[in-house]
Amino acid sequence: MSATGTYDRFEELDAGRVLGDLSIDEVKEWKELAPKQQSENSGEFDWIGAELELRNSEPCPLSSSLITRLNDTIPVFTNKSVSKPSSSNIISIIPWLGWAAAACLLAFFNLPSGDGVQNVSAELAQAKAELSDKAKTITDLESAKQELAKLNENLSGELATESGKIDALNTQIAKLTEKLPLLQKFESLIQDDSDTQRLEFASASDPYKGLSGEVIWNDEKQEGYMSLENLAVNDPTQNQYQLWIVDPERDELPVDGGVFDITEKDGKQIIPIRNALAINKPVAFVITLEQPGGVVKSKQEVVVALAKS
Amino acid sequence: MHLRNFILFSNIDSFRFALGVVPSEGLQANNEDGLLSLVAKGDGQAMKKCIDQYGPLVWSIVCRRISERNDAEETCQEIFTEVWQKAESYKPSVARESTFIGLIARRRAIDWQRKQNRLPLLTDLESISEASAATPLAGINLDRELLWKALEQLPKKTRELFTLHFVKGMTHEEIVQETGLPLGTIKTKLRRGLIDARKFLKDFTPEEASKR
Repeated sequence: MSATGTYDRFEELDAGRVLGDLSIDEVKEWKELAPKQQSENSGEFDWIGAELELRNSEPCPLSSSLITRLNDTIPVFTNKSVSKPSSSNIISIIPWLGWAAAACLLAFFNLPSGDGVQNVSAELAQAKAELSDKAKTITDLESAKQELAKLNENLSGELATESGKIDALNTQIAKLTEKLPLLQKFESLIQDDSDTQRLEFASASDPYKGLSGEVIWNDEKQEGYMSLENLAVNDPTQNQYQLWIVDPERDELPVDGGVFDITEKDGKQIIPIRNALAINKPVAFVITLEQPGGVVKSKQEVVVALAKS
Repeated sequence: MHLRNFILFSNIDSFRFALGVVPSEGLQANNEDGLLSLVAKGDGQAMKKCIDQYGPLVWSIVCRRISERNDAEETCQEIFTEVWQKAESYKPSVARESTFIGLIARRRAIDWQRKQNRLPLLTDLESISEASAATPLAGINLDRELLWKALEQLPKKTRELFTLHFVKGMTHEEIVQETGLPLGTIKTKLRRGLIDARKFLKDFTPEEASKR
């Protein structure tokens, strides 16, 4: 490109710079050409552009909030050690001033004063824009508030659910804690004494088909326990389970082994044997369903389970 | 008048100006009396006067191109910060104070538009000190009357595009929508127009201008 061509191109780019329409590539090109082509006339486009901009600019009075904002920067301006005031040094707009300005403008707008009315109209437009901004902020805040309320509601629901789970777990822990001593005794009786009898329960009628479990008994200690699973929960006001111990050496009639209830459907239930009389050589253990409180002699109308040697 | 109305205006001049008692041009012309030289010395009162006097002009330029109020106010702050930083480089022999401040305001407002389009900023290309160091336009000291007369030499279409760009503050894309002209045509005509305006201005002498 000739010297004239290069100058013409730079002149065009420089005009584009002042017009603010340089593309990214043109900016690069301008930067390459500027060191050689810039002259004492380089600022002329800037001045012409500024004059054209100012030509039809009708000064628009500043809102009081903006004046405050600008004036608040003056201490920073006068501090020569600071090269540029940061936004943190600038006092924000006092919120009510915008509303006060709008109210004043409304009053001012009613005055019949020629050009003044035009200027006040501009102020009014600014105040309206300010009010619009505030209205938008309020709408946004209300929207955020609704979102928070919804979130809070969801969290409360989740919290209630989790609290329910925790309560259930606590109940379970309490029950297990309650069962623990019996379990320990059950295990202890099995492990420590070789002469402990251990018999398996089998269901004795269809309604109790899924039942399983065992009974352990120690003659010397006169102590024994039942371990039962899948035995139906009973209503103590209607009927109760009763254990019978068959000991032919003692009597032909079974000995009462105690009345008990099943309160939980799931899990292993440990029931201590509460024999009314001393037992010598038990050969069988029978569970029946009886009236509340049990009976002295069972009619064996409902035989639940049987364990025999 | 109620006192509340008074708080809208920072001083009696701007108050009178708002009422239309003082014409805007007169107010500016009468007060262009070396404020920037005081600002350059770090005079806080001068800076306050500067804001009072040129704030409405700056705000007008800013609002023409920036629609977001908060961004417009921030840009206004940036402009006066730059005025303070560059006040030392201002030369009364080159341009009026209002032109100097208008130049900064225009550049910052256009930069805001360019920022929205992720384009390099004008303020990164050249500092105002470099521009103000230039000598005045040959023999005319940027006489406004001569400039208007020079503009009359431009084609009508170019003058219309100037109005859309300089007066209405439209971006080229907005001018495309307004006129239906291709972007390239608008870009070329505006650039050519600015180049021609400078040429006409240089060719003019006050005597020639009065004859035309």
